[in-house]
Amino acid sequence: MNKEELIAKLKVIIKPYTANSEAYDNLTENTDFIKDLEINSANLVDIVLDIEENFDVVIDNTDMERMLDVKTAVEIIETKLAAK
Amino acid sequence: MIGNDVVDILQSRQESNWQRRGFLEKLFTEEEQLFIKQETNPEILVWLFWSMKEAAYKIYNRQTKRREYIPKKLICRIVLNENDYIEGEVTCGGNIYYTKTAILNDGIHTIAVSSYCDLNNVIEVEKRGIFKDQYGIPYLSDLSKISNNVSISNHGRFEKVVKLI
Repeated sequence: MNKEELIAKLKVIIKPYTANSEAYDNLTENTDFIKDLEINSANLVDIVLDIEENFDVVIDNTDMERMLDVKTAVEIIETKLAAK
Repeated sequence: MIGNDVVDILQSRQESNWQRRGFLEKLFTEEEQLFIKQETNPEILVWLFWSMKEAAYKIYNRQTKRREYIPKKLICRIVLNENDYIEGEVTCGGNIYYTKTAILNDGIHTIAVSSYCDLNNVIEVEKRGIFKDQYGIPYLSDLSKISNNVSISNHGRFEKVVKLI
């Protein structure tokens, strides 16, 4: 899976939790889940769980701590997929 | 310093499924999970602990300027459970925060302070004359930055703005 495919898959995951649709439509690697997409912090855990289910990876606490933007999420998923 | 967090339980039921697999395990310590599972009304305890963590995190974020998603590192303890409010402590690394939670009509509002003596010095104010610094941390613009910080929380039907008197 290349980065574009990965981001496309991630975008589908985060959509239901996104409050700011304009920021969602203009999503880039620099998009912040909370500041830009206005995702409720209680839903960040749902994104982490959805990533685990959809990509069949395990996100540990240390990784979850950093998962606040698209770029970091992509980085973490890429690392987990490469380690499989 | 001060932090607060409000949870609209009706809104939470729309937005979150705390019973989904992995949810409690990723957000709460083993001990907190045990409390939640033993409680007759686990839903309230889930959002009580969550609001304690969020309110305490707002102070942690003010102190450290660090943005992290660290719910499991914010460890909750209930100290006093009265009819109309709950006092607690949240520890994070070497820091300790003191909390007071009000149970609202289908809602929960927690305030957190860094000095215990401030716990009863918190008042609710209108959202007016507030600006944010480059970290997104709110202050009351008419008063000095350090001594009079405020905290804002919105969720569903609720908006709570609090400050230290």
